[in-house]
Amino acid sequence: MTKTGWAWAWFGFLLALDIAIPWFALTHVEKMSGAFLFWTLWVALAIISAFVIFLRWKEARR
Amino acid sequence: MSITFWVWFGIAVYIAAGLVIALMARRGLGAGMSEFFLANRKVGGFVSALTYSATTYSAFMMIGLAGLTYLGGVGALGFELTYLCGMFMMVFFLPRFWLVGKKYGYVSPMELLSDRYQSKWVGATAAILALVFLVPYGAVQLMGVGYLMNGISQGAIPVVAGIIIAVLCAIAWSNIAGMRSVAWTDTFQALVMIVTSAAVLGVVVVALGGFGSFFSRLESATPGLLTVPTAGGVWNINMFIGLALPWLFFLISNPQVSQRLFIPKSVTAMKQMLGGFLIFGFIYTLISVLWGFGAILLVPGLENADLATPTLLALPIIPMGLAIIVMIGITAAAISTIDSILLTLSSVGARDIYKGLINPRVSEKRELRVGQWVIPIMAIIAFGFAWWVAEQPGNLLELMIAPLSSAASAGLLMAVPAIFGAFFWKRATAPGAIVSCVVGAIVVLGLQIISQLTGWKPLGWWPGTWGFIVCAILFVGVSLATKPPKKKADEFIGYLKEKLSKGNFI
Repeated sequence: MTKTGWAWAWFGFLLALDIAIPWFALTHVEKMSGAFLFWTLWVALAIISAFVIFLRWKEARR
Repeated sequence: MSITFWVWFGIAVYIAAGLVIALMARRGLGAGMSEFFLANRKVGGFVSALTYSATTYSAFMMIGLAGLTYLGGVGALGFELTYLCGMFMMVFFLPRFWLVGKKYGYVSPMELLSDRYQSKWVGATAAILALVFLVPYGAVQLMGVGYLMNGISQGAIPVVAGIIIAVLCAIAWSNIAGMRSVAWTDTFQALVMIVTSAAVLGVVVVALGGFGSFFSRLESATPGLLTVPTAGGVWNINMFIGLALPWLFFLISNPQVSQRLFIPKSVTAMKQMLGGFLIFGFIYTLISVLWGFGAILLVPGLENADLATPTLLALPIIPMGLAIIVMIGITAAAISTIDSILLTLSSVGARDIYKGLINPRVSEKRELRVGQWVIPIMAIIAFGFAWWVAEQPGNLLELMIAPLSSAASAGLLMAVPAIFGAFFWKRATAPGAIVSCVVGAIVVLGLQIISQLTGWKPLGWWPGTWGFIVCAILFVGVSLATKPPKKKADEFIGYLKEKLSKGNFI
């Protein structure tokens, strides 16, 4: 699979977690360490992965 | 001195600062459409990041999102962070928009679609979609400013006066130097937004005994609001998907933000723009949601959750000066969104409607003049709309604002398959793009009206969800049944493939 394909697959995986964890796995955790902490760490992971990709961008050679 | 005096004083200082910045931006203004609407594609990373942030985040954050948190708890955080996770797609779309923008000289995202699909009707359809759905969105922002100023001044400033102030600022800042003045004032306003909201949240957290005490009080006072589905039944999975889906694709569905993908001056500026926005969005979202949670503890039992922010600001623990500064911050959030919408709609009106459909041989000078005239015209339409809605009786008001806000984001979602197709699918066609946009928008509006009148949602799914499914199926089906612009598709996607590889993009 190409790098682009892997990046799309990773994004799809993140979206699957967005539904699966808070809506099914954490439904009974009535604390800040439940859905609140999950979504905060989850989006931090998404942001870090975007940084990992775009920090490699470079000015195209003429 | 009275609170009304200080509110007026704060507004006057804010307007004066904005005008000075806008006039300073005008000093470097050159000639032409690209210069006026895109600052000649030479915006640095810091300003790009903050104009993107200020345009994206409106008064919705500190009022609507805080209210949604107050009403339904942690689901609001998930919904808004799903949007931010969607910004991961910028790693695909930012370099693509930027590269073809420079290569083909596109001024608006609709022009990109017209050229890629080799049909001016594709751009015109997307332009009409934007005009139909962005005017109510802008009007809701204006009303937010009106109600906020009215609330903070304890009724001394009429709602319509607040709306007029917002309209005049938006017209001035978008007309003085186009993207230059909008981007510079956005930068100022983004800083005001983040600093004031962080400061007032700090005051609330200290009043609640620090973060540890704040969180433990929240867990004991409102445990049902820390899970999804919410114990009280406010958040369910259909509502979550219905709200989150249009926002997930906000970065390409809303032309006032996708147009900004054309403006960074270099790859380094692009990286700073994306990184800066992601950090800003993360912080601002957490502040808005924690603000809503603070309201749950400090002002429980409000009947209207949208009043959580004004009520919290009126508490004695918030110094009057800080409350007024926060009001300015929220006003800045609204105006920075409205002026960007006006600027984008004016470029769309001039390039995609006037030049695209009415007068293809128009000179660039005249095209620019048409665009500059569109700014006050669209502002007056949005003002008239906002004023008319604000004058309606309370129950009718509720009936109109909710579907308009919801339908606006869902309606713009209908352009997303056509945008994906433009960059990733050579087989995509103009009829596929047009039919999917038009039928999708009709489905969204129809289901929105039915849902509002009867409460009925097929299978419990929201109108945007149904519209998107219908739109995507139609886009693929009609494209497969019609002839694609093969030569253009090969050239467009082939060019991107070559440049993406050279720049280490993906």
